[in-house]
Amino acid sequence: MASSDKSPAPIPARGPDRTPPGQPMTTGQKVIDKGASMMQSLTPVKQMSQHVCTFAVYSHEMSRHIETHHYISRLNQDFLQCAVYDSEEPNARLIGIEYIISDRLFETLSEEEQKLWHSHAYEIKSGLWVNPRIPEMIGKPELENLAKTYGKFWCTWQVDRGDRLPLGAPVLMMSPQGVNLGKIDPELVKQRDDKYNISTEAIKESRVEIEEPEWINPQADYWKQHGKGFAVDIEQTEMKLRAPFP
Amino acid sequence: MSNPPQVLGEQTQTGTSVLETATGTIQDFRPIKRIHQHLCAFHFYGYDMTRQIEAHHFCAHQNEEMRQCLIFDGPEADAKLIGLEYMISENLFLTLPDDEKPLWHSHLYEVKSGVLFMPRIPGPIERMELDKVCITYGKTIHFWQVDKGDNLPVGLPQVMMALTRDGQLDDELARDVEKRYGVSFEEGRGKRVDLTGPVHGIHPLANGGGKGLKPKLREVDCKPIDSVPRAFV
Repeated sequence: MASSDKSPAPIPARGPDRTPPGQPMTTGQKVIDKGASMMQSLTPVKQMSQHVCTFAVYSHEMSRHIETHHYISRLNQDFLQCAVYDSEEPNARLIGIEYIISDRLFETLSEEEQKLWHSHAYEIKSGLWVNPRIPEMIGKPELENLAKTYGKFWCTWQVDRGDRLPLGAPVLMMSPQGVNLGKIDPELVKQRDDKYNISTEAIKESRVEIEEPEWINPQADYWKQHGKGFAVDIEQTEMKLRAPFP
Repeated sequence: MSNPPQVLGEQTQTGTSVLETATGTIQDFRPIKRIHQHLCAFHFYGYDMTRQIEAHHFCAHQNEEMRQCLIFDGPEADAKLIGLEYMISENLFLTLPDDEKPLWHSHLYEVKSGVLFMPRIPGPIERMELDKVCITYGKTIHFWQVDKGDNLPVGLPQVMMALTRDGQLDDELARDVEKRYGVSFEEGRGKRVDLTGPVHGIHPLANGGGKGLKPKLREVDCKPIDSVPRAFV
């Protein structure tokens, strides 16, 4: 009934306008929000301590690339969880979630599971992955660690195809890589660079000494060895019940 | 969750924190700062009502008719980010294609029954909010099956459903949540009797169209590189 690789019908939910449809926030709502945020601690969200701007590729259609904004919280040395948005603006659209794990944890996953993950070494060494407004020097030691990690990124809102609401099944995303289908459209990179007044090329130069991981598990970046991407289908099925539904 | 699985991994090292102290101080987090509300509710798996989970929503308004929420398995600093939910008005829901509508669930029952609540928010303010939530539809995807005891987010994304009638919510889970947050669902229900739902009634295609929903993974061929007009290959 819904597949991540099928385009939905063009109805008001798709269109050129970037903003989601809907009435602007009323004053009343703003007052409620203000009140709530004063009384509630919102602790898990306050753990987000890093903003990263990078790029991702749709695994089922690798000609489509997007710029992503990750807001990251660290659960421990080996594990990061990221809320992913399409921009850094206050009205940015929440487009998915990425999990980032160390190579150590990655090796504990089954082979079937590993296929859904991607490596980060190229993305970081190439300068595509940046912490906006943070001097490179500060980020460098941590990038050594991150270069060895693997990520799993599900995208739930395909904004680049004009969806004004989050439609369809979630999509598995892949990371930029140094070969053919993994190379990011230079125009997209330039737009990002201009926005932050940085140069991905220059950043790449400065990251030359960051060590490549000794080995990247071939199950990750599945398309590279196997020429296959992944789509998710959401199918109707019998529901296991404990009471009548709906 | 009262006994969540422990996420795998070593304790955070000091060196790692140096970057994160810098980023935490210098960078702005504007999309995150828009998150203004904490809402607690229950979800169950789209194909299995017996697997239910307490879901902590941290919500931001895109506009008056749309919210986007990060879902954690608890309200504490070490809570796991297990999914997300989009909430839209009835008007927006009606614009969705028919094959999209089943992925969205109604909120009327969980609000009126008292099981959806906003921790620490006084009744009258909570009530103003619930008036609106009552009429919305939600699309919830979970990526981490903590109820199975998974200590890493393995597997496929799961479309989740919301409660739609009495008898669905597991008693033990309900009592446990009430106890931990000092709330009474019965009391909440009593105060929400007059809340009204979607103007057009709950759409028959919502809530899976009355059926279960299950994800399946499919391999697709990558288009050969030559078919993609690229100057920079």
